[in-house]
Amino acid sequence: MRLLLVEDEIDIQSFLRASLTEAGYEVEAAADGRSAEALAMSGQFDILIVDLGLPDQDGISLILRLRRLGVGAPVLILSARRSVDDRVRGLEQGGDDYLTKPFALAELLARLRNLLKRNSPPAQEATKLRVLDLELDLLRREAARSGQQLQLTPQEFVLLEYLCRNAGRVVTRSMILEQVWGMRIQPDTNVVDVHIYRLRGKVDGEGQRPLIRTLRGVGYVLKDC
Amino acid sequence: MSSKTAKPIVRSAAWRISLWATLAFACATMVVFILLHRFVADDIQRRSDAWLSGEVEVLGDVAERTPKDALYGRVVGEVAELAGKEVPNREPGSSNSNDSVFFLQTGSDGTMRLWVGAGDGHPNLKAIQAAHVLPERPTDLAVSGFSIPFRVAAIRVDDGSLIYLGLSERDELRVLRSLRLRFLLWWLLIVFFGFGIVFLTTRRMLGHVRRITEAAAGIGHSDLTARVPTTARRDEVAQLALTLNHMLDRIESSMHQLHTITDALAHDLRSPLTAIRGKLEMSLSAASERGPAESVVSAIEELDRLSDFLNKSLDVAEAKADALRLDRSSVDLDELLRAMIDLYGPSMSEKGVEIRIRSNGPLFIEADAALLHRMVANLFDNELKHLSSAGVVAIKLDFREGFAFLGFDDDGLGFETEVLAHLFERRIKGRESSGHGLGLAFVDAVARAHGGSISACNRAEGGARIEIILPGLSS
Repeated sequence: MRLLLVEDEIDIQSFLRASLTEAGYEVEAAADGRSAEALAMSGQFDILIVDLGLPDQDGISLILRLRRLGVGAPVLILSARRSVDDRVRGLEQGGDDYLTKPFALAELLARLRNLLKRNSPPAQEATKLRVLDLELDLLRREAARSGQQLQLTPQEFVLLEYLCRNAGRVVTRSMILEQVWGMRIQPDTNVVDVHIYRLRGKVDGEGQRPLIRTLRGVGYVLKDC
Repeated sequence: MSSKTAKPIVRSAAWRISLWATLAFACATMVVFILLHRFVADDIQRRSDAWLSGEVEVLGDVAERTPKDALYGRVVGEVAELAGKEVPNREPGSSNSNDSVFFLQTGSDGTMRLWVGAGDGHPNLKAIQAAHVLPERPTDLAVSGFSIPFRVAAIRVDDGSLIYLGLSERDELRVLRSLRLRFLLWWLLIVFFGFGIVFLTTRRMLGHVRRITEAAAGIGHSDLTARVPTTARRDEVAQLALTLNHMLDRIESSMHQLHTITDALAHDLRSPLTAIRGKLEMSLSAASERGPAESVVSAIEELDRLSDFLNKSLDVAEAKADALRLDRSSVDLDELLRAMIDLYGPSMSEKGVEIRIRSNGPLFIEADAALLHRMVANLFDNELKHLSSAGVVAIKLDFREGFAFLGFDDDGLGFETEVLAHLFERRIKGRESSGHGLGLAFVDAVARAHGGSISACNRAEGGARIEIILPGLSS
């Protein structure tokens, strides 16, 4: 996957480049609009990350320009502004996404995956999800661990489904809130943790290998360990 | 146009202004006319009196000089008749003047000696004797058989007889009547025209004011790009529109400045925060092979709290300045609250707090869903932080008179009294509170950005109550 990173802050650029490379992306980076344009025209990219506050031009103008020049790859917009500009909303409706700074790396990676998935032809939707001995029946909304039926509320099922779909990958609290509850909020209480504890109580019974792990300071991950 | 124009015209300011202006004008012209009328009437009277006095003197002279023979009656009669043809204010074209003037000579014993005029003169004589008409001084005289009184002058002749000359006031009254009639016609015409002109002008003028009002009312809390309509003229109303627009320019520019400052501040703080967080995360993943690095984890958590605080501060600052950018859509408050309860329920029950909702089903309002989520999350966070176990949070949602009422009651300790008055200001929090004192300020700001309001009090039965009022769907 070729990724074009347009970010003027050298510190951010360097850690993003390192993390994205580690995540398997082939990263090219530009620090301003002009070199970004040159890079975008010289090579084919699967996805772009564009910071809105560039030294020579506004990130939105750059995206619109690239679009006019025939660059069709999805764009993840990085914004230091909290309230989202109408023009960003317009781009968001056009299939792109945005993320406000500061962000968790896990969230950035998740959004990149979503953007890439959106642009690839839809795969046959599976009706069953399986992670080790955990099995989810998406049609009947039922989950079982080692063949043992789990008594989950509808909400818990959605949460578990989300974790399973991202098995092996870290999900943050705000990702869970957005994907499971559809809210972009930042509670200063442990609401998400309580949901996870309860779910863990049902999924990781006594004597079973724990599947849902807490990564302190980052979020949660469902994986075998 | 808008519904405001549909109100009856008699209640408009233009109607009242033109009514009062016309009334004042009509009264003033009426007073002027009455004075003028009196002046004209006096003048006409003076003129006819002068004529009467002059003629009666001439007649007296003629009567004295004419020998008292058989021709006396004819000579004096002809002179009298001749005088009757030169009556002042005479209506041109009227042929018969006999009934407007009479000449009467009485002997010293009061009997009639000579009569020139309409009829036999007896009623006139009777009236003269009854009214004691004195010589040299013209007086009004009502004669039976004549509807209009006469003006009569008298003179005493040497032989003791009296000569009376009477002039009907008919012509005088006719002149005055025609004057009144003409005045009335013109007066009505002018008053009606004046009313029309004043009404149309003021309505036009006030129409500008109304359009300015409508435009100003349409300029929302967050949309400051609109301007009130201006006209090419340079009158007071145009001045008002220009002043309003200048004011809006200034507000927009300070708002823009505020946005620029907060954006710059946000950018300057968030970029290093992003870099630090990224580096910490990288060192965390590197450290995870050797076990969790406690200090890195707590650094990330502190950083997240810091950026959360930064976000909230900027949001509240923008909201307090009515600069929150709203992304409105139709939101079901009932559904939103239930989703929130679903999210917060486990945390609440973990703490032993029960949460109840009373609602009459779906309630749609035009609002920014993301802001409402954060608003309700703030309220729930507050309850979670401040309520002790076995507490109850009762949420009530209903719709009255176009407004959605959202009530949060709990049975905790309530607000501290010194905090209650400043509850929705920034950095205000209870002594025991661990938060940064932005939560309720933000809730207040969101409610107000939506054109709503918030109030808080301590319930009589104990516990706190917060009520949020949001305008319902405008349609």
